[in-house]
Amino acid sequence: MKKTKISSILTPPILTVLAVLFVIPILLVFINSFKSKFYIIGTPFELPDKETFVGLSNYIKGLSTSGFFEAFLRSVFITVGSVILIVICTSMTAWYITRVKTVFTKMLYYLFVFSMVVPFQMVMYTMTFTVTSLNLDNPVGIIFVYLGFGAGLSVFMLSGFVKSVPNEIEEAAMIDGCTPLQTFFRVVFPILKPTAITVAILNAMWIWNDYLLPYLILGTGQKTVPVAIQISMQGAYGSVDWGGFMAMLVLAIIPIIVFYLSSQKYIIKGVVAGAVKG
Amino acid sequence: MATITFKNVVKTYEDGVTVIPDLNLEIKDKEFIILVGPSGCGKSTTLRMIAGLEEVSKGELYIGDRLVNKVAPKDRDIAMVFQSYALYPHMTVYKNMAFGLTLRKVPKKVIDEKVRAAAKILDIEKYLNRKPKALSGGQRQRVALGRAMVRDPAVFLLDEPLSNLDAKLRTEMRSQITKLHQRLQTTFVYVTHDQTEAMTMADRIVVMKDGIINQVDTPQELYNHPCNVFVAGFIGSPQMNFLEGRLKKDEKGYFVKIGYSIIRLPERMKPSAYEEERVILGIRPEDLNLDKNNGDSIEVKVELAEMMGSEIYVYSTFEGKKIIARIDSSEKIENGENIRLTLDTQKLHIFNAQTEELICD
Ligand SMILES: Nc1ncnc2c1ncn2[C@@H]1O[C@H](COP(=O)(O)OP(=O)(O)OP(=O)(O)O)[C@@H](O)[C@H]1O
Ligand SMILES: [Mg+2]
Repeated sequence: MKKTKISSILTPPILTVLAVLFVIPILLVFINSFKSKFYIIGTPFELPDKETFVGLSNYIKGLSTSGFFEAFLRSVFITVGSVILIVICTSMTAWYITRVKTVFTKMLYYLFVFSMVVPFQMVMYTMTFTVTSLNLDNPVGIIFVYLGFGAGLSVFMLSGFVKSVPNEIEEAAMIDGCTPLQTFFRVVFPILKPTAITVAILNAMWIWNDYLLPYLILGTGQKTVPVAIQISMQGAYGSVDWGGFMAMLVLAIIPIIVFYLSSQKYIIKGVVAGAVKG
Repeated sequence: MATITFKNVVKTYEDGVTVIPDLNLEIKDKEFIILVGPSGCGKSTTLRMIAGLEEVSKGELYIGDRLVNKVAPKDRDIAMVFQSYALYPHMTVYKNMAFGLTLRKVPKKVIDEKVRAAAKILDIEKYLNRKPKALSGGQRQRVALGRAMVRDPAVFLLDEPLSNLDAKLRTEMRSQITKLHQRLQTTFVYVTHDQTEAMTMADRIVVMKDGIINQVDTPQELYNHPCNVFVAGFIGSPQMNFLEGRLKKDEKGYFVKIGYSIIRLPERMKPSAYEEERVILGIRPEDLNLDKNNGDSIEVKVELAEMMGSEIYVYSTFEGKKIIARIDSSEKIENGENIRLTLDTQKLHIFNAQTEELICD
């Protein structure tokens, strides 16, 4: 009794401090993106005032930086494409390997789980080589590579949830007249939706932010947002336009935050559903 | 609209266990047939074979004249109500009921009529726009029935549809399902392990044990003329009393000697082939009565007299064996006293002690 009381007193302040620590860098970037580039390095912690405020000019500059807008569109394309492909493919896979119990599906399941613990660096070079020789080194090809990297966690999470869906619902659907595909898309998938959205958010976040894989596969010729930002930070001869840079960072952060906030209620639902029903 | 015929049907699961060794059964058109039996005896398996959810390992299964061994569930013209209701959680009640028809591309207007008609019969019109999780157990049950109803199936399959409901609701739903059967005029196959359900609803009852059909008969026949000890004990509550003894004959006729007591058989029983053999004598609790005129009776020691309201269940011992009697509640019976009971010998059942099959009743 006493213990829970102490923890319930201590938890809010600790979480508040943590939240502030997490928010500060984002806030700093946001504040500085409205300041003139000469004041960013010198006084990063000050709010913009009359003298330092430059309105949206940093954003215009950021967007006009060579290839940033293009990179933005490319990132959106890759992220959306990968997430859709991952959600559809892995939910079907999860359904299949949970419902059809054979040695093969069991092995497949462990393979997916195992793939989660393989560090990216371990497969980096062979993977890059394979991808190039398969002509997948373009924005469409990389979607399939992401499918591979995202599948482990996604299949794992989704099959946990499929297990909690009573088989009888699917049998009822079969009797009602569903083909297996209809059973999946009209009955199973809608039930999986909360978990599928959680899976979508988790994948969207890391794919959007991923730097190494696009850098290795697409190179600097077809930049994604993280690659574009990194390149512009190097600047020409060490002279970086910090104003445009901050604006680019904000633009890179916004989509993922918007996406997260709009689907946040599903994340909690999905995680809880998985937790309660095992 | 459809008969169902099992011809030497065998069901073996993937793990190699044969659950149904050899099933032969003919279910008539428009019949309300109930499968009963102890847990794990293969009732659900039988039902699921009719539904097409389990494959028939060997033998032939017909619905109507059509061999359906290889026909998919959706093409069998059946509907099923599951124990867990198995409603689609993401659809409203209306959509749940309409789903089967939507898949079959029935015109929207027809679907609407059918769903509303079914909802009216089942008294769930108010809930058509709710999701299943916002309904009580009884309401969900009715939605599940409605979902089956709108399809107008040739065969209605129900697997313990009432077992998740409380006692009062169960009684209510029982009569509703009976009425539904009369109204729909289709074949109903119903699985339960509740014998009250079986006795009250069925046209015929199939009693199964270990995947083998012991007896198929009307409730009345089953109760009055069980074909073996298992059926006799399974149907009826409290259970039929079984007393093992030796069949003997003297100048007055046949009798069974149990311990030091004897029970005379009625004149019509002449099990001559079993003289001097061990037999099991079966008598239902209601066929035992207090002996008031010192006639032909047995003496028992009362262990517990349970007042049930309309009658008293008397748990007692006779020759070291337990025996239960149902006696009019106006009688006074004390725990521990000795009382004399008469047997209604017309209602005696004699079973072979070895095979447990009926000899005569
Ligand atoms: N998928 C399966 N694989 C292997 N054995 C099974 C399977 N399904 C059922 N069985 C076995 O078949 C036997 C009969 O099962 P079934 O479900 O038909 O029993 P039941 O009569 O419906 O029992 P209950 O009254 O408990 O529902 C049981 O011994 C069960 O263990
Ligand atoms: Mg069962």
